[in-house]
Amino acid sequence: MSGRGGAALPRLMLWSGLIFLYAPMVILVVYSFNESRLVTVWGGFSTRWYRALVEDQQMMNAAWRSLQIAFFSATAATLLGTLAGIVMARWGRFRGRTLFSGLITAPLVMPDVIIGLSLLLLFVSLSRWIGWPETRGMLTIWIAHVTFCSAYVAVVISSRLRDFDRSLEEAAMDLGADRLRTFLWVTLPLIAPALIAGWLLAFTLSLDDLVIASFVSGPASTTLPMQVFSSVRLGVTPKINALATLLIALVGIAVLLAGWVLHREQQRARVARSASGD
Amino acid sequence: MTANTPPGARDGAEVAAAAATPAGSYLRVVGVSKDFADCRALEQVDLEVGKGEIFALLGASGCGKSTLLRVLAGFETPSEGHVILDGEPLDALPPHRRPVNMMFQSYALFPHMSVEKNIAFGLKQEGLRRAEIAERVVEMLTLVRMGEYARRKPDQLSGGQQQRVALARSLIKRPKLLLLDEPMGALDRKLRAQMQIEVVDILRRLGVTCLMVTHDQDEAMTMAGRIAIMERGRIRQVGAPAEVYEKPSCRYSAEFIGSVNLFEGRVSEQFPDHLLITSRSLPYPIRVGYAALVPDAAQVTLAVRPEKMSLSHSPPAQAHNKLSGVIERIAYFGSHSAYYLRTPSGQTVRGVLLNAQRQSGPRFVAGEQAWMAWEADAVVVLPA
Amino acid sequence: MKRAPGRERGFAQVARARLRWLVVGPPYLWLLLFFAAPFLIVLKISLAEAQIAMPPFTDLLRWSGEKLSLTLNLANYGFLLSDELYVSAYLNSLRIALNATLLCLLIAYPMAWVIARMPPGRRLVFLMLIILPSWTSFLIRIYAWIGILKNEGLLNEALLALGLIDAPLRILHSEAALYIGIVYAYLPFMLLPLYANLVKLDDRLLEAATDLGAKSHQVFVRVILPLSRSGILAGCMLVFIPAVGEFVIPELLGGAGNLMIGKVLWQEFFNNRDWPVASAVAIVMLLLLMVPIMLLHRYQARELEAR
Repeated sequence: MSGRGGAALPRLMLWSGLIFLYAPMVILVVYSFNESRLVTVWGGFSTRWYRALVEDQQMMNAAWRSLQIAFFSATAATLLGTLAGIVMARWGRFRGRTLFSGLITAPLVMPDVIIGLSLLLLFVSLSRWIGWPETRGMLTIWIAHVTFCSAYVAVVISSRLRDFDRSLEEAAMDLGADRLRTFLWVTLPLIAPALIAGWLLAFTLSLDDLVIASFVSGPASTTLPMQVFSSVRLGVTPKINALATLLIALVGIAVLLAGWVLHREQQRARVARSASGD
Repeated sequence: MTANTPPGARDGAEVAAAAATPAGSYLRVVGVSKDFADCRALEQVDLEVGKGEIFALLGASGCGKSTLLRVLAGFETPSEGHVILDGEPLDALPPHRRPVNMMFQSYALFPHMSVEKNIAFGLKQEGLRRAEIAERVVEMLTLVRMGEYARRKPDQLSGGQQQRVALARSLIKRPKLLLLDEPMGALDRKLRAQMQIEVVDILRRLGVTCLMVTHDQDEAMTMAGRIAIMERGRIRQVGAPAEVYEKPSCRYSAEFIGSVNLFEGRVSEQFPDHLLITSRSLPYPIRVGYAALVPDAAQVTLAVRPEKMSLSHSPPAQAHNKLSGVIERIAYFGSHSAYYLRTPSGQTVRGVLLNAQRQSGPRFVAGEQAWMAWEADAVVVLPA
Repeated sequence: MKRAPGRERGFAQVARARLRWLVVGPPYLWLLLFFAAPFLIVLKISLAEAQIAMPPFTDLLRWSGEKLSLTLNLANYGFLLSDELYVSAYLNSLRIALNATLLCLLIAYPMAWVIARMPPGRRLVFLMLIILPSWTSFLIRIYAWIGILKNEGLLNEALLALGLIDAPLRILHSEAALYIGIVYAYLPFMLLPLYANLVKLDDRLLEAATDLGAKSHQVFVRVILPLSRSGILAGCMLVFIPAVGEFVIPELLGGAGNLMIGKVLWQEFFNNRDWPVASAVAIVMLLLLMVPIMLLHRYQARELEAR
């Protein structure tokens, strides 16, 4: 069962699963270079859809808007989520803990339509009662994204903190660092990879959100997914394939880069250790 | 480095003997108890440690020794009692304000800092000048012989090297009290023996007062001047290694350190210089070579260490302190062998003989009848 | 040095209490205001009546001269329960989400198992391969399936070319397409908790079980499965709960015959502009999801608990 040879079926499942995950994306990429508008007909290699994408002013505006929202949402969500993650991982019981951890878990699974609707109704009611927010737009989308992204960041951070050797923090305090300095000089540098991972996760979640943004956006704040959605609804257009290819390339490069850096670090440590053995 | 470095600290035994008598009480633990949600980890612990002493808390896991260490470091607040160091109460001080430093079990070296940054960390918190920090870091690196590794990261060091860095880091602030948590726990056997000597050497040279926690009796005996044996949150016995071994004060410490033969008995006669005790499991009376303060006819436990036993084929001439039986099993350890003798009453008694000569054949074989005898001075009387 | 220790401790305690507030306050208040409070407003509006105005619903409390009147309109809920469309949409959603969750479990479990048994270096690579797709756009990944599944799409073309079928299958806008979409999008959410659980499984336990004479299927049923129960639970909840309220997948891949409640809510809100009914739809959905959310929360709390 646990041996190398016996697990033929699960192995087959793994590879078919990976093919299932990647085939649609490969097809997307291939057809983004198709001269023909039709998905099934190969009309020769062409980059015309990329040109069309770049020339689509609406699409470009929406992309820029989405990137801005994602950047600011990810940043704020990382801040809030880190605080929440620390509370979850490091504080014992305190009054209101159950509610607090519920507020962290629920956004992870809450259907988007419910979050979107409820936030919109909140914004409408608030603007009636206190006159804020006056209009809906990037600000309200930002608030919505920070809300659900910070829950994801909190989970990433707190699971990193849980694996973290607490004696490192105790060592810092033992050597004369107070709580704040211990956090800044020892905890923070050591959870930095989780912070980056959390930020990136929040960034992609925000960049990806269609449903919630559709509810809380205003007339002049169409985001990229909203733009994509409205053109996809009308049918398949190779322009979207081109956009998808760009996204996939971006993510791919980022992951390869991260993997390469990690690998090099490990390699260096291994070489030094084997040279120094006593 | 400090003024009270013992001059010519060559003779380890002499220094150990000097350290064994506490020169005043530098560290005082007074009636410390610690309750956790579900258990009491420390129960009215009193302890006095002299300046410059290396003191070991020895006990099985879960006996409370680590909790006591954490109370001293300030990571746990005691439920009752006080800790006084050099005349100052430590109770109200948070960990970062205590003149106490700790070497952690897993070393807890900051993985993102180089060796020298790790060592400098404590001094940086004090806000010392950069030049002075650098000077003292170099001094420490030289002391622990890690000078050439100053710029390495912890994960690029071997276990022994990591330990030296951890030691240097905990010593650089010149703490009044150094705490070692299972100092050799992460090292393999060979390296352990070597590092024990090296660490003691460094601590003696600096004259630092040190409290260590360990579950390894060899480690406690070779490193510490005095040992406290802990069991279930209480201190059972305090003394120099030889004292704890030769004069255990209770069954627990007799059994915890080394191995021991125990006999139940009743005091039959008391003399000014010795006692006679009869035991139901032994056919001959036991003579104890000193007068113990026990009431007549008191129920007692007698402890005799296996290496105090002598083994013979013919009955010994003495009238006391002997027994006979069948050799049940012989365990060969190279330098010595252990013989298990089963008495007619059913008790198994262990004797250890040094294999001083290369033998062509065994002196005793399993299954044969043999006698064991011991000196009156070898017996320790323990409360029943 | 000779400060009164009691006083110093007092200051330290005040400072620490303040610091604690600084840490827990911002995320707590933010989530209370923007996540918890909105549900109360949804509940309130679900009890209002629709009207053609801005905002398109009535107030519950009305002040008329000297009379303060509270009107709770339960008609929206009655409407939901009586209308065939809503009831079947709820049932459909639950059924489809449940089936899709089981499918995910069946596919993800062996995958997670194989990855968890790999040497650590390879594990990370494969885990990355599983996660990677979810870092690209969800919407675009669902869109990719339109091109594959539609009548003149790649799948049909391929099947026709191979001579396996004579006429194109109608897969897009069928229930099968929904399953493909949900499994495709949520597979990593099932796989990750399963992996996290299985990777902690001690190989020696399996060897011990085999050594004691268990056959491999017995090892699986008696040892592996019970030990990975919490991973299975977490994975299932992470797929089931969002799948019930899914909008994008039924909108793009589903058809008129398999309406799901997320899409109904969307249409009620955007097309019919009936905010009270949309709110009532949301409240009922929330009630249905309460038990699974609680289950997940208990698991999550245990995972994140500080020892």
